[in-house]
Order: sequence, then structure tokens, then C-alpha cells
Amino acid sequence: MIAEALPGAEVQVSDETGGGDHLRAIVRAPQFEGKSRIDQHRMVRAAVQSRMDDGSIHALSIQTKPSR
Amino acid sequence: MAANPELKQKVEEVLKDNPVLLFMKGTPEMPRCGFSMRVVGVLEQMGTEYGAIDVLPILDPLREVTGEISDWRTFPQLYVNGELVGGADIVEEMAESGELAELLGVEQPQTATAPAQQEPTDPQQSPPLQVDGA
Repeated sequence: MIAEALPGAEVQVSDETGGGDHLRAIVRAPQFEGKSRIDQHRMVRAAVQSRMDDGSIHALSIQTKPSR
Repeated sequence: MAANPELKQKVEEVLKDNPVLLFMKGTPEMPRCGFSMRVVGVLEQMGTEYGAIDVLPILDPLREVTGEISDWRTFPQLYVNGELVGGADIVEEMAESGELAELLGVEQPQTATAPAQQEPTDPQQSPPLQVDGA
């Protein structure tokens, strides 16, 4: 989902609790260049919004990094 | 759902009056959420003055307000000079990197988070290896 919204992104998602609904995502994307952290997080969050809305993801902890 | 205009106006006023403002679950003395507690911990470490608002009594209406003001609906939220900086993840990352201290205009505390990390051993920070040509 994230990689679809941010083409070229490297995404690593891990399940924090084993329950599948508390996730941690580490995202590295070329689109982050020049963006503030809050904007980078907004971009990732927007990509998974539908899953947050339907409750299948309860908590998502995000870490963003600029592209290598 | 549209935000309550009265509440929105109040929030805008509070933001204007508090250069550093934290919307959190619970109070700094008694945080009611681990993420809020983490941000309080960072702010205490920075030694900066900040205002704190407990969002729990007005959670849903406040979500609508912050959604309109800053396109962010989860708490905690830290604002500096009226601008949303982020939640716990961003605040902690920025505290570690020194960006937060810079933004707040304070000295980077010596006991920054992750004290186990030793800068000189970070391979990405060290100068490239010089290899003499054979």
C-alpha cells in the first residue's frame, strides 16, 4: 500500500505486538526529499488511511528516512 | 464532520499564547498514554517551558479541530510557534538528532535519548577509509 502510493519507496513493516494491528513502518522514499518530517509522516499516513479508518490497523508507528 | 467553530477558535488562541504546546492524553504529572508520556519526557529533558492540554475530556471534537488546523487527528501533538511538529515518533527522532533543541532554541541536553549510542562508532558518520594505492 505504501509502496504503491510512493513509487520507489523502500518499506519495512513490522508487527509490534503480534496481533497484526499495531504496526511499525520504516519508509525510505525519494518523495521525502525537502519535506518536513510531519509532511513525510502525512504522506505515509495518507497511504494507509483506509486501513486505519476500517480499524484493521489500530496503531501505526512511522519512521521516515530520505532516500539513499 | 466539521469542527466546532468555537472550539477551533479557542484552540487557535491557545496556540497563539503558548509557543510550545502539547496536546496529550492525561497531564504531564499523570500521562494516560505511553506516547504522551514519551513526549512529556522529551520536553522535560529539553528543560523548556510548555503548555499542556489534556485532550481526553474533549477527544472527538478536538480531533476534528486539529484535523482542520493541521491535517492530524491523533494525539499527542506537539506544536512549536503554532506549527505542528509531530507526535511521539517525530519528537523523539528530532530530540535525538538535535533538531528539536534547535527548534526550541535550547541547548541539546547531554543526556539525550539513547545514551547507549556512541557517536564515534556510527559507521556512517566516520570518514571514509583511505586506502593507499599499491
